[in-house]
Amino acid sequence: MNTLTSEHRKLAYIIAIIVLLIPVIWLGMPSTGEDGSGGELAKLRVEHELGESTLGDVDPSSASMNFVLLGLRGIATNLLWMDANEHQKKKEWAKLRSTVDSIILLQPHYMKVWDFQGWNLAYNVSAEWDAVEDRYFWVKEGIKFLNEGVTRNERFPELDWKVGNLHGQKVGRSDEWRLFRKFYKVDPDTERFENGPDPEINPERLDNYQVAKEKFLFANEKELKHKQHLQMRMLFRASPWHAQFDYANAMQREGKFGTQRTDAWDQGFEDWTEIFGREEFITPKGSVVLEWSEPDIENLAKRDNVSKEDKRYWTGRYQNMVNYLFWRTRAKSESESDTIDAHKSLYDGEQLFLKAEFDGAKAELEKGMALYASVLNKYPSLMHEDLAIEEGLQAIILWRYIHELKGLKLPESFPLKSLWIKEQGRVPSLESDLRRRFGIQ
Amino acid sequence: MSFDPIPYDLFDALKHFLTVFGSTMLIAVVVCLLVGVLTRGAKGIGDVFFGILDFFNQIIHISPRRIWSLSTLTIRESLRQKILFVFIIFAVLFMFAGWFLSGAADRPDLQIQSYIDFVLKAISWLVIPIILLLSCWSLPEDIRLRTIHTVVTKPVYRIEIVIGRMLGFTLLGSAILLVMGTVGYIWINRQVPESVRPNLVSKVPIYGEIKFTDREGAPSAGLNVGDIWMHRSYIEGATKARAIFTFKGIDESDAINDELNLQSSFEAFRTHKGNMEKGGILYQFIFVNKDKGLRVDTAPLINKEYLENRLKINRKIMHESEDGKEKVEVDIFDDLVDDNGNLTIEVQCLEAGQLLGMARSDLYIRTPDHAFLSGYSKAVFGIWLPMVLVIMLGVTISCFVKGPVAILTTMTIVLVGFMSKEYMAEILSGKMQAAGAIEAWYRLITHMNSQTPLPDGPVKFMIGIVDLGIINFLWLCQQIIPNFGIFSNMREYVIKGFDVSWDAALLPGIVTTAAYILPCLIVSFYSLKLRELEAK
Repeated sequence: MNTLTSEHRKLAYIIAIIVLLIPVIWLGMPSTGEDGSGGELAKLRVEHELGESTLGDVDPSSASMNFVLLGLRGIATNLLWMDANEHQKKKEWAKLRSTVDSIILLQPHYMKVWDFQGWNLAYNVSAEWDAVEDRYFWVKEGIKFLNEGVTRNERFPELDWKVGNLHGQKVGRSDEWRLFRKFYKVDPDTERFENGPDPEINPERLDNYQVAKEKFLFANEKELKHKQHLQMRMLFRASPWHAQFDYANAMQREGKFGTQRTDAWDQGFEDWTEIFGREEFITPKGSVVLEWSEPDIENLAKRDNVSKEDKRYWTGRYQNMVNYLFWRTRAKSESESDTIDAHKSLYDGEQLFLKAEFDGAKAELEKGMALYASVLNKYPSLMHEDLAIEEGLQAIILWRYIHELKGLKLPESFPLKSLWIKEQGRVPSLESDLRRRFGIQ
Repeated sequence: MSFDPIPYDLFDALKHFLTVFGSTMLIAVVVCLLVGVLTRGAKGIGDVFFGILDFFNQIIHISPRRIWSLSTLTIRESLRQKILFVFIIFAVLFMFAGWFLSGAADRPDLQIQSYIDFVLKAISWLVIPIILLLSCWSLPEDIRLRTIHTVVTKPVYRIEIVIGRMLGFTLLGSAILLVMGTVGYIWINRQVPESVRPNLVSKVPIYGEIKFTDREGAPSAGLNVGDIWMHRSYIEGATKARAIFTFKGIDESDAINDELNLQSSFEAFRTHKGNMEKGGILYQFIFVNKDKGLRVDTAPLINKEYLENRLKINRKIMHESEDGKEKVEVDIFDDLVDDNGNLTIEVQCLEAGQLLGMARSDLYIRTPDHAFLSGYSKAVFGIWLPMVLVIMLGVTISCFVKGPVAILTTMTIVLVGFMSKEYMAEILSGKMQAAGAIEAWYRLITHMNSQTPLPDGPVKFMIGIVDLGIINFLWLCQQIIPNFGIFSNMREYVIKGFDVSWDAALLPGIVTTAAYILPCLIVSFYSLKLRELEAK
């Protein structure tokens, strides 16, 4: 029988509570944010980067949702994911978007969810809409969604890279790229954005490839601290500089041949050779730099205690992997007046062809082809790259078509003939592309 | 739009109800008679007869005054159980909802849908579970605490206790729903951006019947472009392929300001890029009146996908005469509606190589709009109906089992009714190719694929028998468990900006709820009558 009085019992409870509080405080005291503060669990959390705040921005609704669901968030996520699929199947886009947002509340730090759903919005959902304005809206939704993923996850350079890729490839390389690039600077919702871009996408009113470059640079910076699992490290780190080349190339595709384009290629060459080219990459035989000189090879061989031949071999091999020399040559050649004139003539030829001014188009194309042939002669390594080959072949196809239209006999010899003979395998698909582009029956 | 409002067949539903209810009652009476005869001999027959008579006797002698007293008692008990605390959760939800919903999709037209969806879902998810708990818990608690004796010792009928409970909970639930519905309505009105406020209406559509013709002009089912969801069929552009919509009973009253309003939401499928800058594929409507041999085209229109393409056509249309020499004026309602009151509209896609997809619900005649309140209040009524159904089921089940069991049973019925009715229907109709449960289990452990036939023998026989039993049990569940999906359909209407259809949504909802009144009263009356109220 209990012989303690009520007061004694209460005293015993208080003592028990205090005794039990000691380990609880020792283990679970929250951190104040300073290094080494908080209980043992808080310190371990910081040490292993397991706390919500160390992973990225904390969304209170997400944290509370996970807390309320206890261990059932996996099941809840699966159910929501099935719902999202169903909404997509039934083309209920608003519901899809809000379901995806709910999934994210439950799985804020699972990279694949952000990656897949961001891509799904920007590519799959966007393609389901017919008007280009609507397609662009969904590309923006995909970008905004991934942006949110980036702020919530500081440890995934992959997400920054994906954002960069959407800004660059999705906006700049889709079938609708001309309009997308236009909308990138002047959003179709002119009333809301006052004839400017959507500030969440392009706050500084830049070109899409310039923004892509910025995003890739963020990715590169994060990649120094956190390993990425997307692609080979060298290819990953080359992305910002490729975005710079794409920026220059896009101006060319749009018929802008002024100093801005040439400056962009110059900048590209500088970035490629002085930043990317001087970065050290690890090979089985120690570090290599892609933009090398003899003293570099010697120093690195000495430092890593391997032979100079090994260093040369691995440098060459790594250069091939990223097509280093091609891009170096291309960037260099693009600043030269012959190359600019060649591109301009080929572009003008195409435009005249579109206006059905066949004589003018023929003359421009012939001029461009001759100049282009001289560029290829000067830089033969360009003959190994798809874009360069296709530009030349397209010009020949159009030129031959004009002959056909006007009932002219094709001359025996013409500039770029060697390219035409060598690359015959590519001609049928290029011809069908051109038919589509120019509406040739 | 994902829904296709199909008018409800009331006669068929009544026939089905009478078949199921009648046969169940018949089986119950036969079983009672058998048990009566076996246990009490010939006297048993009389007992059963008097037992049945007692129900009708009590029903006839029901006193509204006593029921009202029992109802107020129920309400008072519920209030004492702090049911109104639900308003705190409701208030918290609404205070912060705007933060989370506004970012969902920053197109104002899509945002309206999110707001309405949120309000109606929040109301139903708060009200229905709470009412379910109350209705299941109340009677068993009274029996357990023996407070029921303060009632049953008074001159009240058992049926009055049941009805009093049901009515009390219904009144309380209605009051809560009314307050929440009003707050929700004000909240939606305040949240919706000014630019899309005109969209906040209840559209009143008239749907037609749809038929297709192929590229040669012969009747067909339309083309499938590979969508998993085969809701829409497609017509090929610049061919004789047409989608033919026939609207019945069209007259002048369906016009708005002397204009016929056609609203469409077709889907485009491109086989080549075409001109992307135009904003959509070209199509046109052709009004056809075979009685007068008239075919009147509209001007080409651009299809804006997933948006509402609203075309207002003045009832007087200028139309080229047959010889093409002069313009003749035709009146849509006088000349183009045929002798039977039908308006036939053909849809033609005008671009070669492009396809236009549509379903029955993708083209409708928009008649004068109703206020948003009209559709919204019907959607709230669409929450009230399942709430009443849940109360009836909860009170009925709590008449024969204890509180926790009653809650679990009612919750199971509600969840199955909400989520699995379609699934059950697919299995039972044979639409879903599924083996029986035991057969599936057998195949799983023997690693046998579903195409290989089961080996003949006793195992196959036994599996067949057991699976047949399970399927029949499923059939029974399908007949007994209410289809709660009917009620959530009403929400869909308002989310999509429509007034809730009477014959496709309201009527089935009301009929479904009404169908359970009598069975619930019978089951609860006999359960309470036969229950030993002394037992805890």
